[in-house]
Amino acid sequence: MFKKLALIILLNFLLPISVLAQDFNFDRAFSDYLYNFDLYRQAYQEYISAKEAYLRYKTLTSKTNAMEKTLKMVQTRDEALRTYLIALKMKLGETEGISPAEKNVFNLKLDNEVNWYFTHKEELSSAGSLEDLVELANKAEERYQQETEILIYQTLHKILVGKENNLAEKINTQIAVLKEKLKEIKERGDKNVSLAERWLLETENRLLRFEEKILASQEKMERMEKGSWEDKGQIYKESQLNLQEAHQYLKEANRYLKEIIREVKTADGKY
Amino acid sequence: MENINQDFENILPAEEKLKKKAPPRKIIFFGGLLLLFFLILILIAIFLNLRQRRSFSGTSPTPTPTPTPTLAEEITNPSFYATDSGILKIEEELKKIEEELDSTDLKQASLSPPLLDWQVKF
Repeated sequence: MFKKLALIILLNFLLPISVLAQDFNFDRAFSDYLYNFDLYRQAYQEYISAKEAYLRYKTLTSKTNAMEKTLKMVQTRDEALRTYLIALKMKLGETEGISPAEKNVFNLKLDNEVNWYFTHKEELSSAGSLEDLVELANKAEERYQQETEILIYQTLHKILVGKENNLAEKINTQIAVLKEKLKEIKERGDKNVSLAERWLLETENRLLRFEEKILASQEKMERMEKGSWEDKGQIYKESQLNLQEAHQYLKEANRYLKEIIREVKTADGKY
Repeated sequence: MENINQDFENILPAEEKLKKKAPPRKIIFFGGLLLLFFLILILIAIFLNLRQRRSFSGTSPTPTPTPTPTLAEEITNPSFYATDSGILKIEEELKKIEEELDSTDLKQASLSPPLLDWQVKF
């Protein structure tokens, strides 16, 4: 009786937690980020005004106010970035076409960054003067440029590659099914499938081209780690272009398959 | 005896002589300027070429796909397989994939990194 009662009480406590955990998805994380980004923008405007006032009057009151507004701005900046990274993590988790091992690697890296900005936000409160606060605030810039920015672009790229690989896998599955079907028709001998077979080879060729473009895109992303002097956003854009080309090959492959189906559905010699 | 015959009327005064020598200087100046301009042009061309090469380094050139026109769905002479369940199923799956391909967002603009001001200076 006591055990049952304890179990019911335990379930009452655990159930809402598990429901909450299930509810937290990309959409929720993304709206959290948007909310925090809005807070940052407000804090930023206040910081700019306070900074201007301090630089103009150089009074102790304006300095104290500037310090308060700077602290608020830097803390909301950390929070905006932290929630953005969480949203990115959720998006990655919900994207098909990425292996669990790869997701784990990215999750660990993203968690590490999330924790860094959380700790940094807490550290900011300990600043005793405006000078200390500026010094602490600039640590985030260093972190962002050396670690976070690269990870953000790598994650965004991984999400896109995942989407493309997932679509390619679906097309490959249909190719395999169609191959079996053509084999079956050939064995029956009631329809000439030589043309369909040739077209299928063309379709497979499109998928090879797709893979080449994916590889080219990945090679471009590797430059991001090697050459830190290069504009990371630009490298990402370039690799994105390769992915768009890869996507075009997938579209072509799918259209070819539709043509093959049409050919199979059409009587011999009357196409 | 040697006849020294100088045409003093046609001899130019020293100032005019200097003026007459001035054009080569101008030519040198403008010629140099033109040369410098061409040099800059060549340097820009080399720089652009290098930049292009760098951006494409490490990847083999692969052709860019071209969009193909859509097919008319109507079949006037259907084969025995026009109503085959296996073929119809593949056709259905391909339609779904096509929709997914069309709706895939490859720009992810909403997921772009937030624009944050990292410069805190007083």
